[in-house]
Amino acid sequence: MSNTLHGLPEEVIFCKTCCISNQRPSTKREFSKKSSKDTETVGFGEDGICDTCKWFEFKKTIDWEQREKQLEELCNRFRRNDGSYDVIVPSSGGKDSFYVAHQLKYKYGMNPLTVTWAPHQYTDIGWKNFESMIDAGFDNVLVTPNGKIHRVLTRLAFENLVNPFQPFIIGQKNVAPRAALQYGVQLIMYGENQAEAHNKLEENFSPLMDISHFCKKEGEELYFGGVHIDDLKQHGIEDKDLFLYKPLQEEAIKNAGIEVHFYSFYKNWSPQENYYYAMEHSGFKSNPDGRSEGTYTKFASLDDKIDGQHYFTMFIKFGQGRAMNDVNRDIRDGFISREEGIELINKYDGEFPIKYFQEVLDYMGISEERYWEVLDNARSPHLWEKINGEWQLKHRTI
Amino acid sequence: MKRIIARLDIKGNRLVKGIHLEGWRFLPEHPNEYCYNYYLQGVDEIIYVDAVASLYNRDSLKEIIKKTTDNVFVPITVGGGIRTLEDAYDILRSGADKVAICTQAVKHPEIISEIAGKYGNQCMVLSIQAKKNQSGTFSVWYDVAREKTEIDVVEWAQRGEELGAGEILLTSIDHEGLERGMDSELIKLVSKAVNIPVIASGGLGKSSHFVEAIHSGADAVAIAKALHYNKVNIEDIKLEARNNNIKVR
Repeated sequence: MSNTLHGLPEEVIFCKTCCISNQRPSTKREFSKKSSKDTETVGFGEDGICDTCKWFEFKKTIDWEQREKQLEELCNRFRRNDGSYDVIVPSSGGKDSFYVAHQLKYKYGMNPLTVTWAPHQYTDIGWKNFESMIDAGFDNVLVTPNGKIHRVLTRLAFENLVNPFQPFIIGQKNVAPRAALQYGVQLIMYGENQAEAHNKLEENFSPLMDISHFCKKEGEELYFGGVHIDDLKQHGIEDKDLFLYKPLQEEAIKNAGIEVHFYSFYKNWSPQENYYYAMEHSGFKSNPDGRSEGTYTKFASLDDKIDGQHYFTMFIKFGQGRAMNDVNRDIRDGFISREEGIELINKYDGEFPIKYFQEVLDYMGISEERYWEVLDNARSPHLWEKINGEWQLKHRTI
Repeated sequence: MKRIIARLDIKGNRLVKGIHLEGWRFLPEHPNEYCYNYYLQGVDEIIYVDAVASLYNRDSLKEIIKKTTDNVFVPITVGGGIRTLEDAYDILRSGADKVAICTQAVKHPEIISEIAGKYGNQCMVLSIQAKKNQSGTFSVWYDVAREKTEIDVVEWAQRGEELGAGEILLTSIDHEGLERGMDSELIKLVSKAVNIPVIASGGLGKSSHFVEAIHSGADAVAIAKALHYNKVNIEDIKLEARNNNIKVR
């Protein structure tokens, strides 16, 4: 009998080249998660190096000029000259999606429609950056879910999966394909393939997103916030309330000829470079409060008041928080050494996101006591121990 | 005589340049190459800022300073991660003429008096990272613009002068790295409030920005990105300055 929670591997291994551990989950379809156990974790080789670092080694051998030609061919295949939109870019108004939309429009002559799935609660800077993106020359459709329903789903996802971010993730995956169907657009361009960060190495070799991330599988039972769709009524959620959350029909996507691509397949993707690009081409602003809580960076995940909790719950569940996330990326991109990364993790990882804490509690409608009850129950005994009344991680990157 | 200063932000043994003091984009050549080139162009001073010193050790920076003194014969200021008199001694012994203190001065202002007392006011540069508030005032930030304080920039500059700072290196976080011009309002506010020289930093993208900064009250201007990427050269700035009746070397 395993001594771990969330389906995590019992032995903790840290990558020899970055700082990630084998406890880091991969991105997986959200619709069928019944509990936090429904996760897979990042792959490791027997050499103690994570799949992601291996991918970055391979990335060095990619001929990016060739990839750009492929991008131009793709654009030529989908470009329209009748004034209609020819590509949908899912966008938050952040640096990454801005970079994709701006390049497609101004460098490759496409006519993008940016589509935004609203955050749980916009921060001031998130809203300003969203407006700056539109002001930099883009049409946009903002899809905002019913606040009453979204709050309940957020609370359920927090209590059952310890992932208050799940309702956002689900909607974000669905929103662009649905808009593509509505507006008759056949190309969707996402930014970074999640395999760049924590999914299986092989997934990087295709420019295409697996449509099962937003399509229903035959005979599949749907779960939201860890609750079966039929049981959501007990929480005041009717079937008609779930239109924006339910996966799409595979047939509809295929018949419409919709393709979902990752820009990171065609371009050497770097969050830091995207930040520079956004600063130089729009009114994008970094975090006005300085570094974001739990990390050293100022330019990532700024738009939702719940962002800090997204990373903090990961820190509790997997022992890896926001700084760890940033460090691994910066190591692989060659900006910092592994030793520097460890210093940064020791300094910032797991710092509690206090700034919007009360607002997030109010949003979910739970007490602070309940919040800590959920989190403390989510601390797997193979990762955490209580020393002199304080929770401490058993394993740290060394 | 107004001064043109080259500012080089260092991480490890590399020259880096961010925007708003954020990001670690590397420049291709070794920092000493850039520094020597600016010296040949006629720069008046050099400022090295260790961009990540509060986290890591600084041995590589000391190497860079030592190497600089081999072929660059203008005053060198070094900032980043200096916390104690011993740290300052270490940096000065490596060949720096002045030290610039930011984070430690905010946390323990007495370090300003200690360094000024031991090595002289001319050696103690107070580095201020300034960011505009919504209300229009400016606040002091530290730790490479990661942490903010409620301290007012003008009051902090005056306090620094009282404690013995000989110069102020005034960096506008909002203008830094974008080459769209310097923050004249900030420069005016601070240079009016103190009697010591103010080195303006952040935002220079063309020669006329130098003139504007001097007219706003700066005694010197620190230039980074526009020099590193060859957008300006020091001869052109001097020419522009002389055309505007500003005395330069």
